[in-house]
Amino acid sequence: MIRFSNVNKWFGDLHVLKDINLSVEGGEVVVVCGPSGSGKSTLIRCINRLEPIQQGELVVDNMKVHDKKTNMTKIRAEIGFVFQQFNLYPHMTAMGNVTIAPMKVRKMKKSEAEKLGREILERVGLGNKADAYPAQLSGGQQQRVAIARGLCMRPKIMLFDEPTSALDPEMINEVLDVMRVLAREGMTMIVVSHEMGFAREVANRVVFMDEGQIIEVAPPNDFFKNPRTERAKLFLSKILTH
Amino acid sequence: MLETFNFRVILEYMPLYWKCFFATLWLSGGSLLGALVLGVIACAMRLSESRIISRVAGVYIESIRSTPLLAQLYFFYFGLPSLGIRMPEEATGILALTLNSGAYMAEIIRAGVQSIPYGQIEAAMSSGLSYLQRMRYIVLPQALGVAIPPMLGQAIVLVKDSALLSLISIVELTRAGQILTSERFMPAEGFLTTAVFYLIIYYVLKAFSHWSQKRLIFRGA
Amino acid sequence: MWGFYFEQLVQSIPFFLKGLWMTVAVSGSSLVAGTVLGFVWGVIRAGRGKVLKRIIGAWVDLIRGTPFLVQVFIFFFILPEAGIQLEAFPASVIALTNLSACFICEIVAGGIQSIPSGQREAATASGLSSYHQLRYIILPQAMRIILPPLVGQYVLLVKDSSVVSAIGVTDVTRVGWLTVQRIPEGIMVFGLVGILYFVICYPLIRLSNTLEKRMTVVTTKL
Repeated sequence: MIRFSNVNKWFGDLHVLKDINLSVEGGEVVVVCGPSGSGKSTLIRCINRLEPIQQGELVVDNMKVHDKKTNMTKIRAEIGFVFQQFNLYPHMTAMGNVTIAPMKVRKMKKSEAEKLGREILERVGLGNKADAYPAQLSGGQQQRVAIARGLCMRPKIMLFDEPTSALDPEMINEVLDVMRVLAREGMTMIVVSHEMGFAREVANRVVFMDEGQIIEVAPPNDFFKNPRTERAKLFLSKILTH
Repeated sequence: MLETFNFRVILEYMPLYWKCFFATLWLSGGSLLGALVLGVIACAMRLSESRIISRVAGVYIESIRSTPLLAQLYFFYFGLPSLGIRMPEEATGILALTLNSGAYMAEIIRAGVQSIPYGQIEAAMSSGLSYLQRMRYIVLPQALGVAIPPMLGQAIVLVKDSALLSLISIVELTRAGQILTSERFMPAEGFLTTAVFYLIIYYVLKAFSHWSQKRLIFRGA
Repeated sequence: MWGFYFEQLVQSIPFFLKGLWMTVAVSGSSLVAGTVLGFVWGVIRAGRGKVLKRIIGAWVDLIRGTPFLVQVFIFFFILPEAGIQLEAFPASVIALTNLSACFICEIVAGGIQSIPSGQREAATASGLSSYHQLRYIILPQAMRIILPPLVGQYVLLVKDSSVVSAIGVTDVTRVGWLTVQRIPEGIMVFGLVGILYFVICYPLIRLSNTLEKRMTVVTTKL
């Protein structure tokens, strides 16, 4: 479904992604972790070309993202992206936020889109907040609306860039719960996160990155119990003892 | 039109343009200084605790801001003689420009002063500094740092405003253009040359503004 | 003597009201046209087309660097040389429209650029086209930031319209100028002129201040 082949990316002179090779199959849940500055956010932002790559090939759903001529609109319609800072549209209600793309990109009629919107908002537990504005919602609720916004496009892939890092601790679980359900339903997900409990429960694989490179890829049990590389061991010792 | 652009005529009139260029500079410069002084006074009055003084300054500032400069200029040019006051046009011009820019300067300075977090004034008070000391060492230095970019903006506005003085027969850059136009029937040469001179002043002031913003980074507003 | 002039002035009030109407006509048409043009230019300035951005930027700079009076003279006296004959009123409206558009362009571009980039990213990630992004996500949010300075700019432009009296347009200022030739009481005549401008400008200034206060209250918490 998603394949990185020898991908390299620079921000000016800074080499942020080094020789990335990674394949993610449909239905897989992959958690990407690593210290800050390791390039994990950059990695997933390349998938829907929020960041372009300079070298290598990136193929998503059989379409070549690395090729400048590729029309990204089609690809982006199949990928839902959830941001750390939610990025909800403040001037629209929850319903407005989740229906704007289906109406304008998939050209759905308003009534159709609203029906879908209500259904998805129910799924994330916010059916009764359809007419609320982001400012009236808590952080956890806002992030769930952001997930609903991604889901309303009926995507094949959902990407999460540190979805719970900007949330107060009490609200992290309500968001993770939604993500767990998605994973169990078979959604292809790539999640950049520090939530190791979540990774252990639902991830098929954990990708550990450091300084722009993929250091280790392993199923969660193997990764957490027997990390093979020194850097992975160092990282795990730091985050598991806090 | 460009083929027939007559550079020789412009060269012929260069002495006039130079003279008028300097006239514009000193008319604007003089008014700028006056406006600064007036602005500080008006601002101090506006922020005063006495309601009457504050009101008076308020009326002054609001009247200036709600009426056009040209109307103010004519007000003085036609109005002062009817009070028996005869002044050379240049003086009337500078008076009008000073009063006009003074009001805007007062608002700029006020914004600068009010941008200083009250906590600093409290700290100053707690350490025993008097009102004047607080003003001198804490408030004004920071207020000026914040106010300098908009003040330079007002300086640019003032230079452009000085063009209106040509309408009360003062010989400055715009008048030079009018003279060339009426004597030789060449409005293109006349007014485009005028425009070029104004643009020179504009770009110099803009560059100065950028330079001073780089050097005076005490605090962002 | 003073009383006599006062009476004459009162009799001239209809003339002043015609001038007031002319001021409203010149400013009004220029503001409408200038706002439309200014928004178009502003969107371009905030966009990605490098060449167009620079061209509009250079033009705006020229207009901001020269006195409006000189611009009016250029439009009125020089365009005929290029073959376009203009009367005073159309020349004034063109000059004032151009001036408005330049200043409004900068206000609009500033407003658009102040929208956090996360908004654009979210819209891009869901596949919305640039046009849809601008129309449904960016501009609605930018309008809150643009509105107060926009109204403030309208006040400035009404005042700038007084300059067109120099090429003979019979607005309030020109009526004053003509009247003072007959009634040599500058203070009374231009006092009246001032009051008439005040009547138009002061409410707009208050509106701009109110809009600014309301805008700073409505912020989204994260």
